Amino acid sequence: MNRILLLSTLIFAAAPVFAQDIDIKAIVDGHVLPRYQSLAVEAADLAQSATTDCRPDSDTLIAAYHDAFDAWIGASHLRFGPSEQDDRAFALAFWPDPRGSTPKALSALLQDQDAAVASSREFATVSVAARGFYALEFLLFDPQFSNTANADYHCALVQAVATDISLNASAILGDWETGYGALMSKPGNDTYRTQTEAAQQLFTSLATGLEFTSQTRLGRPMGTFDRPRPNRAEARRSARSLRHVQLSLRATQELAALISIGHVGVDKAFEAAIQRADTLDDPVFAGVTAPQRRLRIEALQQNIDLIRNMLAQEVGPALGIAAGFNSLDGD
Amino acid sequence: MPSRRSFIAGMLAAGIAPKPTWADAGNPAFLSAGMKPDGSYVLCGLSADAQITFERPLPARGHAAAAHPNLADAVAFARRPGTYAIVLDCVTGQQKARLTAPHDRHFFGHGTFSADGDLLFTTENDFEAARGVVGIWDARHNYARIGEFSSGGIGPHDIKLMPDGTSLVVANGGIETHPETGRTKLNIPTMQSNLSYLSFDGKRLGQMQLDRAHQKNSIRHLAVSAQGDVAFAMQWQGDLTADLPLLGTHHLKTEKIAFAEQASIRNMNGYLGSVAVSRNGNHIATTSPRAGILQNFKGTELFDQTVITDACGVASSKTDFIVTSGTGVVQSRSGLSVLHDVAWDNHLIAI
Repeated sequence: MNRILLLSTLIFAAAPVFAQDIDIKAIVDGHVLPRYQSLAVEAADLAQSATTDCRPDSDTLIAAYHDAFDAWIGASHLRFGPSEQDDRAFALAFWPDPRGSTPKALSALLQDQDAAVASSREFATVSVAARGFYALEFLLFDPQFSNTANADYHCALVQAVATDISLNASAILGDWETGYGALMSKPGNDTYRTQTEAAQQLFTSLATGLEFTSQTRLGRPMGTFDRPRPNRAEARRSARSLRHVQLSLRATQELAALISIGHVGVDKAFEAAIQRADTLDDPVFAGVTAPQRRLRIEALQQNIDLIRNMLAQEVGPALGIAAGFNSLDGD
Repeated sequence: MPSRRSFIAGMLAAGIAPKPTWADAGNPAFLSAGMKPDGSYVLCGLSADAQITFERPLPARGHAAAAHPNLADAVAFARRPGTYAIVLDCVTGQQKARLTAPHDRHFFGHGTFSADGDLLFTTENDFEAARGVVGIWDARHNYARIGEFSSGGIGPHDIKLMPDGTSLVVANGGIETHPETGRTKLNIPTMQSNLSYLSFDGKRLGQMQLDRAHQKNSIRHLAVSAQGDVAFAMQWQGDLTADLPLLGTHHLKTEKIAFAEQASIRNMNGYLGSVAVSRNGNHIATTSPRAGILQNFKGTELFDQTVITDACGVASSKTDFIVTSGTGVVQSRSGLSVLHDVAWDNHLIAI
């Protein structure tokens, strides 16, 4: 009880001060926009590369795939506003996928030789499970899909997915550049009534991004000690699982530094987590099945959870965000 | 002279006891799950003046509870995606039965009894098939599972008995989840929530689905008036810059839908935690722990609102609404305010 009481006291005591100190415009201009600009540029390059050479063994295409996926992971914690319009972010990144909807949807398209690939407008109506980076990974890296008998249709499908990614990325950027960025930078409008609301939105995306990295990117392959699930590692077919953890930690570290001004502990905790990730040497978390190596992955998860706790208990309350038993539960 | 309690205990030992009723459990008016300062989880009975009448341990974090209409049986449901529910005898504190979800099901945290208390209905996830089911348990036979039927949608959450005593209303939140991915939402772009009215044998008596603008509004919690008006509280799954009401009422016979406009995404931070209807059916109360607000509506017009940090549980008393908070507060609009050493969990259940 004391802890809870203390927490609610903190919420009231510290609420209005720090949210006002955050430079929202600097975060939009220096963190959000560059990340979505990079995504739009890399995604356009991916679409161009697929148009030039759609074969799964094209070095240019594979390099463009990695660059664009990197750019998305660097922005993937910024899930609000333009990314949620028309379900763009879902269409870019349909994962986790516990029922295997992506391979099912891709198989159906290939089987039927669905004509939707011929038009980007048509393709935008295809199930989100068959769109975006995770679908493209299956098409380029999973032998069941990359060695398909019908090379022509496979090629058209790769191009359709790449083009769809590019259109979504540029639509998100377009909305940020032509209005949403200004709404957030200058609160006092219908979208953000106050500086605090804008700060809260950014804080929520930071906390949610870290939660996803800990519980899903790491937690999913970890499974339980008795039943580890290495095949559930994110983007393991293209050996990107650990890379996603590293990229998202660096991206959230950048945002955290802008939000938790002068909070030395948060930055140190990020450094510890990043250092552990950088020295893990386990690109697809295959080590979850080996007790000694598993321990190191668990330690990384604990590093991230330490950051999350600091944000929830120290930084969040200062922004006027209730770190409540019920408000955080969500059900 | 022996106290009533030891007298009953003696009778229990002799095997000739009448079944203990709520009076024997100290006449609690409400049930709520909570967390103690040491991090342990409990189910508590609360009296009408907000005193704790009993406190029994739970093995993990609870969510909602269901009170047997006559016997002093309380069913505490695990928080999603839990697979247990515990039936407590609130007089002795003993576990009377334990409900375990079938191996390919988990509970969603809510359940309700039939009017005579013979049957318990629980909302469950058939996660491999991505469909909601209502499980049926026989309270007369140690809460044995005796069947199930479709909930009429995906992600059923709250379930309530209709005033006719022969049918149920279920809030199908529309959100697909799978225990492998914890509480991650898997189908937001295509989700579709509904209210389903079902007979005890699973026949669909009616269904209400909101229009396209509400596609990402997930109906989660329900309160039903004696007149059969169903108040439904929603949680918005889209971007918070949208602005739609999160509270509505529906009546099956007239098919009338009304919205409480002030319980908006904007005012309530996209999230309603609980809903209650006054005994006379004229007022509706809803909470948002994220906004820290209790709103009280007369019909669908905002009557008053109160700022309460982490407010979530709400239930009607004889003449008022009682609210519980994660900070330990139990308070009413008319001035009652008691602070307990328990962080009250999501829901307050009237007995």
